[in-house]
Amino acid sequence: MTTLTAVPASAAVRRPRIRNRYLRGLATPRGVIGLALVGLVLAVGLAAPLLTSYDPDFQTADALVSPGTGDHLWGTDEIGRDLLSRLLYGIRSDVLVVLAAVPIAALVGCGLALLATAHRAADVAVQRLFDLLLSFPGLILGLTVTAIMGVGRGTIIVVIALVETPAFGRLLRGAILVHRDREYAVAARVGGAGPLRLLTRHVLPNAADPVVVHVALAMSVAVILEGAMSFIGIGIRPPEASLGSTLAASRPYLEDHPAYALGPLAVITALVVGLNLIAEALNRGARR
Amino acid sequence: MSLSTFATSRRTVLRAAGAGAVALGLAGCKSAVDEKRDQAAPAGSGGAPKRGGTLQIGSISDLTPALLFTQNSLTALHRLVFNTLTGYDPKTLQPQPQLATSWQVAPDGTSVTFQLREGVKFHSGRPFTADDVVWAIQNLKDPKRSAQLRATAAVVSDVSVKSPTELTLRLAHPVSNLFDLFEFMVIADKESVEDAVAGKRIVGTGPFALKSWTPGAGLSFTRNPDYFVPDRPYFDGVEVRIIPQADALLVALRSKQVQLAIGLSGRDVQPVKDDGQFSIRQFDHGSGAVYVGANVSVKPLDDKRVRQAVSFAVNRDRILQQALGGYGLASSTPWPKSSPAYSDATAKRYAYDPARAKALLAEAGAGELSLPLAHLALPSYTVAAQMVQFDLQQVGVKTTLEPLDAAKFQTQLINQTMPALWVGGHGFAQVHPSTLAVSAYPFNEAKNTSKFSDPQYTEIVQKAWNQADADSAAAKAAYQDLSEVLLDRQFVIDLVVLANLYASTSNLQGVTQNLYADTVLDDAYLA
Repeated sequence: MTTLTAVPASAAVRRPRIRNRYLRGLATPRGVIGLALVGLVLAVGLAAPLLTSYDPDFQTADALVSPGTGDHLWGTDEIGRDLLSRLLYGIRSDVLVVLAAVPIAALVGCGLALLATAHRAADVAVQRLFDLLLSFPGLILGLTVTAIMGVGRGTIIVVIALVETPAFGRLLRGAILVHRDREYAVAARVGGAGPLRLLTRHVLPNAADPVVVHVALAMSVAVILEGAMSFIGIGIRPPEASLGSTLAASRPYLEDHPAYALGPLAVITALVVGLNLIAEALNRGARR
Repeated sequence: MSLSTFATSRRTVLRAAGAGAVALGLAGCKSAVDEKRDQAAPAGSGGAPKRGGTLQIGSISDLTPALLFTQNSLTALHRLVFNTLTGYDPKTLQPQPQLATSWQVAPDGTSVTFQLREGVKFHSGRPFTADDVVWAIQNLKDPKRSAQLRATAAVVSDVSVKSPTELTLRLAHPVSNLFDLFEFMVIADKESVEDAVAGKRIVGTGPFALKSWTPGAGLSFTRNPDYFVPDRPYFDGVEVRIIPQADALLVALRSKQVQLAIGLSGRDVQPVKDDGQFSIRQFDHGSGAVYVGANVSVKPLDDKRVRQAVSFAVNRDRILQQALGGYGLASSTPWPKSSPAYSDATAKRYAYDPARAKALLAEAGAGELSLPLAHLALPSYTVAAQMVQFDLQQVGVKTTLEPLDAAKFQTQLINQTMPALWVGGHGFAQVHPSTLAVSAYPFNEAKNTSKFSDPQYTEIVQKAWNQADADSAAAKAAYQDLSEVLLDRQFVIDLVVLANLYASTSNLQGVTQNLYADTVLDDAYLA
């Protein structure tokens, strides 16, 4: 005879303190560190006009001044521009690109995934398109698009969007295919739910987890890609400050003026590590 | 024979034959700055030259065989494999014997007779004769070779070969830059020329024979045992590694994987410029100049006062120091100091004066301007373009930078499709001044990038070009007129005359270059 043990009433009704599972993931040490790193970088970028009085493009005769000399807290570059100011405004420039490109990639990728799951022929076409895009390494795609569109912010946004669209599309398509055959989805269909209602009310909320996690990952890839494109001279158009172009310009002065390179390097590292920690925290939160 | 005597006697009979004179001529191809550096070389570098060994060179540029008969971007090839008829002494711009031992120019400047060196062989073993010179001239006239000196080669209307070692060239009209052609025109083996422009086999008479070329990787040369200069070259071979990234090339030099780095800019060499293990040789001839080009078909740049305002607005000294590492000469004119057209007064004509720039703009009725500014997307030019942009902004001219890769930049330069303003580099000012005005794309009076056309400019250029004696008072006066018209019209706004830099380990001695920036290793050795 089986003995049933009563579950204490207090345990049965205990609910997590944070109900949203993503927020629950972010509330872990991993998530907090990630948020702190990204938040700090964003905060100093946003507060750039308050933190420095220098125009990032203003040139002076004081070239390659060391940090802490005179009025320049982080020194100057080879044409006398304030490095702190270029760093802070460079953050703005990079973040603007990332915040424009990743949502575009997510929207286009998810749209194509929905189209692919709606019709077999569309699925074949979309998958081959994704194969085509994925066959190009990011920088090669960047060089190709730059050859067509020219150098500039718009080009970087298009490149990042093209690189990330297949990832979003494949993730959502896979998740929809799994969830739409689950019992709850079958039950909803039997209960009279039409295709649109089934998708929006039942399947998509459950299939969105990998997409949400990938947003953070895509942002870290976007930071690297923007930096890499600016580093090889096909990124943000000069004289506008960007982290990658500042890093590229610093190379001849690594020994004598290490602060020139250390600034953008530290910011890019903080952003990428922070975004990866956030992605990992969201992933763990979603799986709980 | 002093150089000045040598200069004045060139037009009569030049009998400087013999290996000693050749060695003197070849060794003469160095600048004053270079000599100063050589004297400052560390202990152990003096004494007798050492024979043997292989020189390792790192080059940013690779060979483009199709451009073999132009001023090719790979400088470590032409004067290794080939020779020319004559070679300039860069200090005096007087030709010295190479494959030609002596020459006589007719008093009216319409013919020149060469006596050629006997016993010279191509690397293939075939003897060099006057027929090879005839073929070389015809080759440069061929439009498919795209030679910058084609206009001058085309002036040679007739050639008569008197013997295998003597020939006379007749000219359609006298030209002041005739010996620029003989400095430029490499004598290649006519039998293998199609292989040469395909990159399969490049054969000349020079100190080294090309053994192999691996595109994108490097070139390998072996010593020519039959070189006509006795006991030269010192090296048994030369290996050229193609390292397109300036940082990687500098690392290769610092780790002594290469002993000579070619193609680095003043910015690039900053980390080693004060390091005693390395030396920076700068040649103030044979490189080029950084300039701002103005498209005069774009309003208000059709008004010369606006172009002059741009010239006054730019701080040339700051560009020289900050964008180019201090290697060069801030100047309003295209000429290096060795040019007969150079003068301090013209070089400093457009001293930095933003107030005057504003006044000129106001006088021309050009209010707040907004213009595109293209530039070569190379680090030094990108920095220079940003500085030009900043300086122009201070006088109320807003510009938008448009970076162009080298191929696109060159195409737009040739096709006259540059935007209102551009920052680029030009060559051909280091030889006779007329060569610049009839050969370089930005200046060519017949068709230039700026779409500038002016009867007075054409007249002055033709006068300078048609001088029978390049060293005469009339020629020098014509060069000054050329400087003045360029300074007044300012369709090309010269900023800095560049120095060509060779970064090497400090024990490398005797490296020089000719006036077309081709590396000369006849006397080079590792101490």
